[in-house]
Amino acid sequence: MSQTSSADHFARPFNGPGTGPPVPSSVPGGSEAESSQGDPGGRGSPAIHALGLHKRYGKTVAVASLSMSVGRGEVFGFLGPNGAGKTTVVKMLLGLVRPSGGEAMVLGAPIGDRETRRRIGYLPELFRFQPWLNAAEVLALHCRLLELPKRSWDQAVADSLRVSGLTDRSGDKVGGFSKGMQQRLGLGVALLGDPELVVLDEPTSALDPVGRHDMRQIIRGLRTRGKTVFLNTHLLAEAEQVCDRVAVLDKGVAIATGTLAELLGQHGRVRVKLGTVDGSCTKILSKFGAWQRDGDWIILERIENDSIPDLVAAIIGGGGRVEAVIPEHQSLEDRFLELLDER
Amino acid sequence: MTFRILTIASLTIREAARRRLVAALAAITVVMVGLSAWGFERLSHSHSLTSGESNLAVPQALILFMFMFSFVVALSASAMASPAVASEVESGVLLTVGARPIRRSEILVGKWLGLAVLLAGYAIAVSALEMGVVDAVSGYLPPSPVLITVFLFSEGLLLLTLALLLSTRLSSLAAGVIGIALFGAAWLAGVVGSLGSTFNINAMRTIGSVSRYVLPTDGLWHGAIYHLEPTSMMAERLSEGRNADPFFVHTGPSWYYLLWVSAWFVIVLVGSVISFERREL
Ligand SMILES: Nc1ncnc2c1ncn2[C@@H]1O[C@H](COP(=O)(O)OP(=O)(O)OP(=O)(O)O)[C@@H](O)[C@H]1O
Ligand SMILES: [Mg+2]
Repeated sequence: MSQTSSADHFARPFNGPGTGPPVPSSVPGGSEAESSQGDPGGRGSPAIHALGLHKRYGKTVAVASLSMSVGRGEVFGFLGPNGAGKTTVVKMLLGLVRPSGGEAMVLGAPIGDRETRRRIGYLPELFRFQPWLNAAEVLALHCRLLELPKRSWDQAVADSLRVSGLTDRSGDKVGGFSKGMQQRLGLGVALLGDPELVVLDEPTSALDPVGRHDMRQIIRGLRTRGKTVFLNTHLLAEAEQVCDRVAVLDKGVAIATGTLAELLGQHGRVRVKLGTVDGSCTKILSKFGAWQRDGDWIILERIENDSIPDLVAAIIGGGGRVEAVIPEHQSLEDRFLELLDER
Repeated sequence: MTFRILTIASLTIREAARRRLVAALAAITVVMVGLSAWGFERLSHSHSLTSGESNLAVPQALILFMFMFSFVVALSASAMASPAVASEVESGVLLTVGARPIRRSEILVGKWLGLAVLLAGYAIAVSALEMGVVDAVSGYLPPSPVLITVFLFSEGLLLLTLALLLSTRLSSLAAGVIGIALFGAAWLAGVVGSLGSTFNINAMRTIGSVSRYVLPTDGLWHGAIYHLEPTSMMAERLSEGRNADPFFVHTGPSWYYLLWVSAWFVIVLVGSVISFERREL
């Protein structure tokens, strides 16, 4: 059976990511946009570009002049502690909340632009759907709201149900769904109509480990197909696995932005076990930065990753013996805590 | 644009049907109409009333029953409209809908339209049932049943529109309670006004006429009464000269009053759209 459905573009979680080449979209809205000439959707522009975006709730500053840019086809992780302002930023980008200041462009149009929202999928942090509809009806409603051509609805609904793993519950009322099932439905809704930009606000907050794994596959699948993903998350391990770039937000201020490599830096910690540590040896160690003893081990706090072989060569050249070397890469979590500490 | 409005309108109607609102209203209405049928049957065949008395008593009783139904229609209108926006903002349902390529105004007008259709269906069903039953039992049919239905519906629609406006800013509960309280206050102010004109007390008269413009529910109810009264009753009451009865009027609403009511709808509906557009989800 050959499947040429829009949702085949969503990675199929159980088949692994990137199985087979991307199939052309069967949703005319999608293929039309892709085949059209010129730059109708502002394709040359970044997916998201914010300039001094600001939001105040009474005295609370939720977002303080945030400037950032998310490129097309990027998986962008938006990290930050509770109350940092992540959800507020997302809501402003979608036109659900009015900024108190600044401006932003999404897919080349000013935020809140109605036509542009056709090309954006959104899974809110608070995912609730009409409890008196069943899952298939919720998806059909969103097909209508997206103004997808009527003949593509059945396929689009079926695909979304499959990706969200709800096919066998499609006739059940959403009001009776478990939290995780509702979040899965929210993902199905967000992926309807093959959006160019998918905004996910803590998409795995209610998911079981299998669901989290599926979500990562889906995000990777979206990237393979050139879609942009904006991912709000607390799960740093998750961000580390799927994101190309991240920004760390704290109290409404972006305190770090960059690729993971940039953020984690070229410096790492390394543990070395030496046979004997004599005077000449300590001299050599000191050339590579600050170090300290930890029992039999020597710990070098900040050493450039590239110079670890040089360190080993230098010690051996100086007559020492190297019994073990353990480079300890800084995890995103360590870096995250460090960043928050520095403030 | 119409397509999107109709999407929301049909969703609203489907919700009322799914949540058994329609079924519940239908059941209550059948019970009330049945009760009134029994009452009218007794009244028109009572031996203690002369036929002249009975000819007056039946329309009088019909006015009272229709007042009760107008109250039920207005309460239902307020109960349906007050959670329409508020509960969906509170629950977060509007986050996903609002992120779609649909204008806020289309969401709001769609909801208003869906609720208005439900209300119209209900007003028509109630009026037709009640007046039909009374006609069948006692042989009395008011002069213009269609106009009565229109006034009954407009009165409900007014409260519906007001409750929807309140719903864009307040919680469902607050919007519902305030809507119904204002409806009661407008009715009371109408009574105060008619007492004022009977006994020539200017301040009371002013309260009545101001409230008729601020919230025209009572003015529309007067339109319904006017068309419920048979000509014989009109003649008798006018000869009595006094008019302190809140269930009697001797003139229908003027065309400029009806024009104001139309303007009122537009103003409140536009106000709701603006309020909802500014609402953060
Ligand atoms: N509707 C609102 N009214 C008042 N204050 C608000 C509102 N929404 C958000 N805030 C405030 O804005 C700040 C940022 O909130 P936001 O929900 O964006 O945080 P977040 O980063 O998404 O947090 P979390 O990780 O807990 O989801 C908080 O201080 C919050 O209290
Ligand atoms: Mg949040």
